[in-house]
Amino acid sequence: MPIESKPQTDHADPRSRPFDRALLRSRRRRVAGAADQADFLLHRVGEDLADRLSIIKRAFPVAANIGAHHGVLSRRLRQVETVGMIVDVEAVDALANQCDGPLVIADEEALPFAAASLDLAVSALSLQLVNDLPGTLAQIRQALKPDGLLLAALLGGATLGELGEAWLIAEEEITGGASPRVAPAIDLRDLGGLLQRAGFALPVVDSERVTVAYASPLALMREIKAMGASNMLTQRRRAPVRRDVLARAAQIYEQRHARGDGRVLATFEIMTITAWAPDASQQKPLKPGSAAVRLAAALGTDELPTGEKPGG
Amino acid sequence: MVDDAESGDGIVESQRAIDPRLLAILVCPVTKHPLRYDPVRQELISKAARLAYPVRDGVPILTSEAARALDDPPHQV
Repeated sequence: MPIESKPQTDHADPRSRPFDRALLRSRRRRVAGAADQADFLLHRVGEDLADRLSIIKRAFPVAANIGAHHGVLSRRLRQVETVGMIVDVEAVDALANQCDGPLVIADEEALPFAAASLDLAVSALSLQLVNDLPGTLAQIRQALKPDGLLLAALLGGATLGELGEAWLIAEEEITGGASPRVAPAIDLRDLGGLLQRAGFALPVVDSERVTVAYASPLALMREIKAMGASNMLTQRRRAPVRRDVLARAAQIYEQRHARGDGRVLATFEIMTITAWAPDASQQKPLKPGSAAVRLAAALGTDELPTGEKPGG
Repeated sequence: MVDDAESGDGIVESQRAIDPRLLAILVCPVTKHPLRYDPVRQELISKAARLAYPVRDGVPILTSEAARALDDPPHQV
């Protein structure tokens, strides 16, 4: 008999499903009532994605916000003139109920949109916790109309690297072994590759590191808990955290990342995706040999046979 | 629109109707096949997946956990 008997737990191979999404949902449900107390990163991403959308000169009549949290991003994007209806997609009902537009309860890993039904898919700080990111990206791609846009921000790279390191050292020192605590982070290059594999055209990924100061390492951990994002790894250690390990991790964190005023710094790396569903109207390279004008003519210079040097 | 039809276990209370703009773009999350809206039972039916997804107060709940298997067919409407 499997030890895990909770319903909705992900039973598949833990290596291919790093996140226990059922646990994540129940944690996020528990903190949903105070979601607006720990959403500064969401607001920051909302402002940034709104800026990026407002400089794109086209209309997006039908949009979906994938992993909508409590509706922060959608509320901001409804102020962008070119965006029409935004459907919020959120798996946790207690968060979804705080959204104020058209709403669907659904999981980011099984999207309920018809092929070529969306002009725009947006997402803020949700896709980093999807087990099958290539699958989710492929589903988004299929839901987009030709020339539809995916504009999404997710955490990756150096996010909470300081905390992961402090836990690792403390646990190694005290127990002689380490268990996974901080979620594996995707990096820029991997993300670009995934977007291409999912069939997106013109994918661009950029990243920004946000450094946040906390009163103490424990204050940081409380904030992560308030985001519903504490350790939800499938391969996490199930036993409660040992007090001595926790204390040592906090100590190591303070030693390495305290500022002059005693506050400690934590890094969040926000990676932002801009990618389009392919369309015949998009720029693409010409076929080799199809040039109608010589390069030398375009450059206003003389063409020399290979091997010769100018003036030589 | 308000549905006042009876269901098996009582009166469906004045449910908010599902947004028609939503209905136009939603499919079954499992099979990506079309969904049929049953306004009496407040369900979205996926024939291909043999699942009925609940609609609560106009909000479609399109998760396999919330869905009802269609193998035990309800009374025909």
